[in-house]
Amino acid sequence: MARPVLTGRQRIGRDAVPYAAFVPAATVVFASLLSALPIISTSGWFPDFGYLVFISWRLLRADPWPAWWAAPLGLVNDLFTGYPIGFSIALWSATMLALDLIDRRTMWRDYWIEWILAAVLLALDQWLQWRMAAIVGARVPFTKILPAIGISICVFPLSAWVVSRIDVWRLGR
Amino acid sequence: MATARPGWSRRAQYGLFFSFLAVMAGIIVGVVLLTLSLVAPKTFNSIRGAALDVTGPVAGALHEVVATAEGVLTGAGNYWDAARQNAELKHERTAMLRRMVEAKAIFLENQQLKATLQLREHERGTIAVGRIVGSSFNSPRRFAIISTGTQDGVRIGMPVRSPDGLVGRVIDAGALASRVLLVSDHANIVPARLLRGGIPVIAQGRGDGTIDVRPLEVGRNPFKRGDIIITSGTGGLYPPLVPIARVVKLDDDGAVALPLADPANTSFAIVEPPFEPAAVAAESAPPADSP
Repeated sequence: MARPVLTGRQRIGRDAVPYAAFVPAATVVFASLLSALPIISTSGWFPDFGYLVFISWRLLRADPWPAWWAAPLGLVNDLFTGYPIGFSIALWSATMLALDLIDRRTMWRDYWIEWILAAVLLALDQWLQWRMAAIVGARVPFTKILPAIGISICVFPLSAWVVSRIDVWRLGR
Repeated sequence: MATARPGWSRRAQYGLFFSFLAVMAGIIVGVVLLTLSLVAPKTFNSIRGAALDVTGPVAGALHEVVATAEGVLTGAGNYWDAARQNAELKHERTAMLRRMVEAKAIFLENQQLKATLQLREHERGTIAVGRIVGSSFNSPRRFAIISTGTQDGVRIGMPVRSPDGLVGRVIDAGALASRVLLVSDHANIVPARLLRGGIPVIAQGRGDGTIDVRPLEVGRNPFKRGDIIITSGTGGLYPPLVPIARVVKLDDDGAVALPLADPANTSFAIVEPPFEPAAVAAESAPPADSP
């Protein structure tokens, strides 16, 4: 909706919501906080909500937040989810860097490329978590995390849709 | 830091460069912190505890809502086929009463034998009682969050049990909530034995809610389906004679067991003092007990 004039339902006086620049980061923190939900699971197949929303925003827009915000957002995620501290800080900063490099190389972007990129990143996230668990003594067989990877990848379109709706709302379009 | 070429503006070029530096700094800081938390897991205890205090009460409140809704549903389900259930329960109760009298007699005899042997009975107090309000549902590790913390005397390393069986041990403690390493986590190894025969075994979580049990002595597979595994008290952390799991499947040299204290259905989690605090303290910090 680059041209609201053409859509026919022009809303006069609608502008970006206050603090629109902070909305993306706030939604990422909120997603990290989802780990406080009283879900008591014995399989651990739920997606890493924080990272899911993080890459949804970053794939939707190149500048949802200044690049260095990835580190504090990652720290928040580490604290609330119980990952080893530093894991999300490093991974999320590296994701910002990697996606910037990819943005320079790709000739075009469409839905499928975004989904594939997200799939690779989510699989990487799960794989690193698995490595991390192995280092501290929990060497789970790799096949045990395959369902978690699959579920994350399938949930990504939903997360991307929600994020795009929030983006439309925050910019008042 | 999005555009490849910001144009001729010096300011834009510098901005791009500094944001690149900031991201690199973020990666380096993250890797350093990660190494620290893997090598010296105790470094971030206080900050992790504080984060638990933020989410713990929220999870607790939400848990109440979910538990109430579930209670209404299962409560309605109980009325279905009530007469047959009632007869069954009465039958079970009489059988139980008989067994209980036997058990009481054994208990008395045991006390007398212990007195003659002059075995000092350990005081098995309860430190705190909480509810299991959350879990690590998005990682390969198996943690649970309980709604009790250092305010009530919970310390890192204390064993946690429920009326049904062993739950795990405390690995992060905040003032209001603590994180528990469940017995089904792969890094949690519990010295145990078979209830039938007392053969020493090792119980290790499999990361998917089940437990792997192996006999200490290699040889014949001693397990049968339905066997109960209990703690042996070896190592001094977990108290002896706490039920852990029930064997559900045999494999080559061991068996797969289901924890008796299912964290999803456990009503209360009881935090106990370490069984032999001196023995636990004498051991240097185990490398694998913290994320």
